[in-house]
Amino acid sequence: MDFVLRVAGLEKRYGAVNAVQGLTFAVAPGEVLGLVGPNGAGKTSTLRCLAGILPPTSGRVVVAGYDLAKDAVDAKRELAFLPDEPRFFDYLTVWEHLNFTARLYGVEDWEERGKALLEEMELTGKEKALPGELSRGMKQKLSIACGFLHSPKLILLDEPLTGLDPIGIRRMKASLRRRAEEGAALVLSSHLLPLVEELCHRLLVIAGGRAMALGSLEAIRARLSGPEGESASLEDLFVRITSAAETEKPPP
Amino acid sequence: MSFSSAVVFLWLASSRNRLRLQLQRLRRPRYLVGALVGLGYVYSIFLRRLEFGGTLSNVPPGVRLFAELSLVVSALVTVFSAWALGPDRPSLTFTESEVVQLFPAPVTRRSLLHYKLARGLMGAAAGALFASLFVGRLVSPAPGFFFLGAFLSLGTLYLHSTAASFMRTRWGEWGTRGLVARWVALGCVLAAVGLAVYSSLEAHPFPRTVGTPGVLRNWVQSLVESPGLSAVLWPARLLVAPALARDASDFLSALPPVLVLALAHYVWVRLAEVPFEESAVTQAETRTRERAQRASGGSARGGALASRKAPFRLSARGRPEVALIWKNLITRRRMTGGVVSVLASLLLGCAIVAMMGESRFFTDTRRVLGPLGVSLAAMMAVVGPSVFRMDLRMDLPKLDLLRALPLAGWQVVGAELAASALVVGALQLGLLTVGLLCGPGAEDPWLATWWWPGGVALAVLLPTVSLAGLFVQNAAVVLFPAWVPADRTGSARGIEALGQRLLTLVGSLVVSLVGLLPAALAGAVVGFPLWSSLEVWALPLGAAAASAVLAAEVGLGVLTLGRAFEHLDVSEDRPE
Repeated sequence: MDFVLRVAGLEKRYGAVNAVQGLTFAVAPGEVLGLVGPNGAGKTSTLRCLAGILPPTSGRVVVAGYDLAKDAVDAKRELAFLPDEPRFFDYLTVWEHLNFTARLYGVEDWEERGKALLEEMELTGKEKALPGELSRGMKQKLSIACGFLHSPKLILLDEPLTGLDPIGIRRMKASLRRRAEEGAALVLSSHLLPLVEELCHRLLVIAGGRAMALGSLEAIRARLSGPEGESASLEDLFVRITSAAETEKPPP
Repeated sequence: MSFSSAVVFLWLASSRNRLRLQLQRLRRPRYLVGALVGLGYVYSIFLRRLEFGGTLSNVPPGVRLFAELSLVVSALVTVFSAWALGPDRPSLTFTESEVVQLFPAPVTRRSLLHYKLARGLMGAAAGALFASLFVGRLVSPAPGFFFLGAFLSLGTLYLHSTAASFMRTRWGEWGTRGLVARWVALGCVLAAVGLAVYSSLEAHPFPRTVGTPGVLRNWVQSLVESPGLSAVLWPARLLVAPALARDASDFLSALPPVLVLALAHYVWVRLAEVPFEESAVTQAETRTRERAQRASGGSARGGALASRKAPFRLSARGRPEVALIWKNLITRRRMTGGVVSVLASLLLGCAIVAMMGESRFFTDTRRVLGPLGVSLAAMMAVVGPSVFRMDLRMDLPKLDLLRALPLAGWQVVGAELAASALVVGALQLGLLTVGLLCGPGAEDPWLATWWWPGGVALAVLLPTVSLAGLFVQNAAVVLFPAWVPADRTGSARGIEALGQRLLTLVGSLVVSLVGLLPAALAGAVVGFPLWSSLEVWALPLGAAAASAVLAAEVGLGVLTLGRAFEHLDVSEDRPE
């Protein structure tokens, strides 16, 4: 199978702290992988390594056939990273951010696409606004519009619904679903388990930087077939898996 | 646990943890070296000065009078500001953390007031300590008394400002009536002060000749001792008297009035107390927002700036790194700092020339502007790289954003450097053009011969020197991210951070000078052989060779720095 993202033995250490330990997984086109885990599990570090922001301590990341360590520029051209806290250049307007992104990724029909994205994100009329004039939710939408402008093959999302209102959340879910249907691979990190359950085809549960479970919800449920295994919700499974990880922790 | 013991716990625990964190950091060699350099600097600059061996006679009367008047005037200005300047609201400021943690806590407003007053008095003690280190030795033979006296003075002034803000808040609630009442009262006080100054000047006019030593000092002495002015200055002189005490008995005799004054101000603050929570919350939010914007290299202002157009239309086709140059040039247009600094320098230069009595500035401006333009262009090579910062120094706080871009490290570094280099270079060429066209400003045949060849040489060389300066400053940010804070908030604090900055400054100077050596050598190798045939016109050719070598050095540096940028991992100092 031709995967958009292939990760093998990914590790990330901060000094003496092992934030990510030996993650191995792959994501196919059109697939949405949910990255879940408790606070400090290593989700953001994993996403930053996948986006080429943090250099992994060891392991291999291949995006759309490009090795992120060797062909970083080509790999980055195929992906979009949408962080939980959107960061912008303070002196570029909304429209100039799209223009800037278009030049970086060589999107020739960016004006057409940009207008459509701004409309989709309900940012029409805000073209001349600076980031400082936007609300938290609007910034999140602008980050998504910039991320989607070059039609990436891999979309990495860290808590994508933070700051969005209920209508924005509904639109965002539909937008993510559509990108997946169009063939993009999505890796979505979120604490909102209902969202993960609703959107993701497979789950990667991590705790303490290690992969605790990988597979579809049904597969994970079947693997943990306890007395109430079949009817267990994702929340039940999450608690069970992460509690097990806690007990496996070596003594300090 | 009572509120006061909770606050003491908060302060002690915070201090202990901060100290522990700093000590832990010393395990890393770069922090240890920084701490040692910082300690050495503090000792050599400040602490060595505490070795007082002097006596009363060591402080000349003129210096003492000047110090006393400076302190008195500072105190009066503080009092005037408290009543006349700023908005009508309580001056107590709380941090966002204090608002969130302390305001909902089960404590009275009075407890919060005392908490803040205690913080203010701690600030006064820190201010007194710095004043003792910086000026104590110059104005007082007894540093201990100077510190205690300065602490009492600053503390009383803090209480006065707090009480004044409470009174203004009360009057502010009366609307126009309160405003009129305040300004009428202020007007009466100012009129009385004006009258006192006038009568004193009438009695003691400015001496006709001030050339003889001591004449000016004697006049000031007689002026401040005249009945009118001495009455105006009396409260402030009372306040600063303990700080200027010559010995223990002097200090003890000056102490009681100040203690009474401080106590009276405390009672006044208690009696004048007004609700301050709403104002504190608003101010805390504003400060947090402004700090966040400053940290990301932004400005608190926004809307109007967006209307300033982009320098050119950015097509979607072409080299991607041009987008970064375009972005930084837009930033330049929408920021004011650098251009304001250059304009201020120009104005300052003109003012200095005018003050020096250079009459030609008004009669033959062209001749003054010539040398001024050339001098400023040369100065820009040193000052420009520090003033124009729309490069990695501005963008590194957004490292995640830069690293996610589909650009190689050298492309990011090169493009980030380019915008600042283009702006500084353009300014230098503009200033040189003005300078060269205006002429040397003197009828000197030697200067006339060198003017154009020298100017052309500078035009070739200066932009490259500025580029090299920019490169060194950006390299420091990338290579030592923990030493050189890229954001303006300067997160690193403490003695080791001071040492690191000193080392970085010295390192930058050394690297710049070492980098200039091969360029100078190349300039000499090309220029000297051509001198016999081209004479002064060999200078531009030598400069061109030097410039080419410098540019090549920067090019190599960009490639190397690009690799360092790709492997830059700030997570060591910024854990997830």
